Amino acid sequence: MTKEELWQAVLAQIQLNISQANFATWFKETNIVSSKDGQIMVSVPNSFAKEWLENKYGKTILKILFNLDKEIKEVKYSVGKAEVRAVKKELPPLTVPGQMEFEELQVDRETNLNPKYNFENFVVGPSNELAHAAAWAVSQKPGLVYNPLFIYGGVGLGKTHLLQSIGNAVIKNFPQKKIKYIPTEKFTAGLVSSIRNQDVENFKAKYRAFDILILDDIQFLAGKEKTQEEFFHTFNALYETNKQIILSSDRPPKAIPALAERLRSRFEGGMIGDISYPDYEMRVAILKTKSLEKGVNLSDEILDYIAANIQRNIRELEGALNRIIAYQRINNQIPELETIKSLLKNILISPSKLANPAKIIQTVAEFYDLREKELLSSSRKKEIVRPRQIAMFLLREELKSSYPFIGRKFGGKDHTTAIHACGKIVKELEKDENFSNEINLIKQRIYTA
Amino acid sequence: MKTIILKDKLKEGISVVERVAGRSLTLPILDTVLIKTEKNFINLTTTDLEIGINWWSLVKTEKEGKIAVPAKILSSFINLLPNKPIQFGVKDLNLEIESDNYKTLIKGVDPEEFPIIPKISTEEKIVVGNQLFCQSLSKVVDIASLSSTKVEISGVYFLFQGNQVTMTATDSFRLGEKKLFLPDSASKITKDYSFILPQRAAKEVINIFGDKEGSMSIYFSPNQVLFESLLSETNHPQIQLTSRLIEGDYPNYTEIIPKTYETKIALAADEFANQIKMASLFSGKINEVKLKADPEKGLLNIFSQNPDVGEYNSSVAAKIEGKPCETSFNYRFLLDGLLNMISGDKKKEVVFGLNGSEKAGVLKSKNEDSYLYLVMPIKAG
Repeated sequence: MTKEELWQAVLAQIQLNISQANFATWFKETNIVSSKDGQIMVSVPNSFAKEWLENKYGKTILKILFNLDKEIKEVKYSVGKAEVRAVKKELPPLTVPGQMEFEELQVDRETNLNPKYNFENFVVGPSNELAHAAAWAVSQKPGLVYNPLFIYGGVGLGKTHLLQSIGNAVIKNFPQKKIKYIPTEKFTAGLVSSIRNQDVENFKAKYRAFDILILDDIQFLAGKEKTQEEFFHTFNALYETNKQIILSSDRPPKAIPALAERLRSRFEGGMIGDISYPDYEMRVAILKTKSLEKGVNLSDEILDYIAANIQRNIRELEGALNRIIAYQRINNQIPELETIKSLLKNILISPSKLANPAKIIQTVAEFYDLREKELLSSSRKKEIVRPRQIAMFLLREELKSSYPFIGRKFGGKDHTTAIHACGKIVKELEKDENFSNEINLIKQRIYTA
Repeated sequence: MKTIILKDKLKEGISVVERVAGRSLTLPILDTVLIKTEKNFINLTTTDLEIGINWWSLVKTEKEGKIAVPAKILSSFINLLPNKPIQFGVKDLNLEIESDNYKTLIKGVDPEEFPIIPKISTEEKIVVGNQLFCQSLSKVVDIASLSSTKVEISGVYFLFQGNQVTMTATDSFRLGEKKLFLPDSASKITKDYSFILPQRAAKEVINIFGDKEGSMSIYFSPNQVLFESLLSETNHPQIQLTSRLIEGDYPNYTEIIPKTYETKIALAADEFANQIKMASLFSGKINEVKLKADPEKGLLNIFSQNPDVGEYNSSVAAKIEGKPCETSFNYRFLLDGLLNMISGDKKKEVVFGLNGSEKAGVLKSKNEDSYLYLVMPIKAG
């Protein structure tokens, strides 16, 4: 029997012996945390509950446990983490418009770290295991294990969360270390203004004094040569003195266009971890964690619905949750599934649902000034082959069509033709910045037309 | 149980403990006060499962016993009795109260049902003067945020370092920090302690210990804190208030306290407060009062305007250093800080430090550093 089942069995029996109010008061948020050598450790939400369970129900609990498992000799109680308290039934205080707040209460100005991001509330799953493990290792031994640590992944999948968690964990473990978290764009802006004010030296010295430098969204270095150069020197200075550097980007170093080769190779020299789309179970886990954090209690049905419908972005997951919470605060009730469906309509109807094969083919044809027929023909003229490959690539990329389907669409071609076409385009995209702009333009047309 | 006690004594005890009773809807036992008689003492206890209060007094006990009775009825009844010795007795879960020519019976509840107040594993304690401590606490307690979204700032933050106590509270619009220096004779603590005390517990501490002579001991433990004062006659505790602590880390607020000011205004606190009060009558929906400091003329202009009521415009003489500055504040926030600062001393001078119209203003007393009040402005427009 697992710990959970064991405790559930205890609760089920205790319930019969005491009043409902007593049960709700004393057994809320209790559970077994460990069971070793016949000793059971029960976690309780506060000291009152501890005293009460120990002194009043101690014998009964032990007896029930003993009946379930003859090994158990002793039950101990400890005050666990602060109870997550249900949101009180009151409207959030309406702040006066214009009244300013101490924003710094949230963000630590010196390090730029936001304490709300930490490892404890980062949900680990198969899609981010590696990145998380590397980040954790770095936070335990900054500068010694993976240097630099490079984390990449799509929008809203938790890169920033992971980066900030490292920073916050290091603050806890090594309070004397100097940490800086900075988005790349700010780094660039800082450099520009230091050039203007003619104190580049100061700027250099400032960044070289950190023990841990965390740079978010490093892909924005693309095409900024002076910044790249400056960053290169800073990087070297830090790296040589075993200072930890942590970077994040929305794509692997190889795919960042217009990035100096010497930087690219340095980025690849440490540890590269990727974060990909969370699977369904993970999305549910994330929603559960978030709703617990926000102190709301949503049914599994609702969480299921959100997790099943928002698949590619954790930030959107949170957005959907926030919407429901706002609704709940205003109306003082947890919305029905039907209400939720309409609440989340705006989020869920994403552009991807608006594209279809016909539209993609039409747009590509228009973009390259061809007729649709030509595109679908089997002509091998160069000016037609390439747009056709692009169309195939987009069908694959945007609609997730199967290769055989794509082949059939284009005049009964073999699925290997489609595979080849997509592979080719992907390769070119990595190499050629202009080409990827071109593709983006076509995508925009598909979704806006 | 058979005990005899003076009415005034009992009344005092009940008024101490009844404050936390009767707040529970789910558990009726929490509406009761537990009366317990031990050898030479009577002990009253109440709790709401966050705060627990114990009160003791010396009495003549002929027979020990205990019972829990509804706090409200007991309190109302005792208040009406003449000041004469009262005799308590218990019979079949009923509390019998006898005095000269009364004989009353209050229905009680099984005392075994009453929650057990958590014991504090008394590691270390510090002794503070009741009045000094409570007066200091009262300067920050009302600032704590009531909203439950950010749990950490819903309480008062205490930091004990050597013989210095720092109390801080904020609601993210303003922040008050009071420092208190204990005389060297106070018991020393071996390391620093800090905790976040829920606002309600802080208020109860003020209510209960605020106007008592003497001193109290504060005992630290990981999840709980205990405030205790002793009986004057003997070395037995008279009042014990145990409270749950708020878990979490208090924001690192020292960083938001500006070290320098662009504009520094020194003026009489009393007059400043009066002007703000007058201006408040004319302020609009968002309680906005505009301050304009003119260093050259040495005048602080106070202006408020309400399209429905009218407008107010006045100037106070002040010593102003630095740049001219124009900032708007919520008058309530400003006034709270000023009144906390004045607290009886009408001649007090304050220094108001400003850093432009979008940074926090700082109120400090001119001659001492022990109280600091930070307030965020209202954005212009």
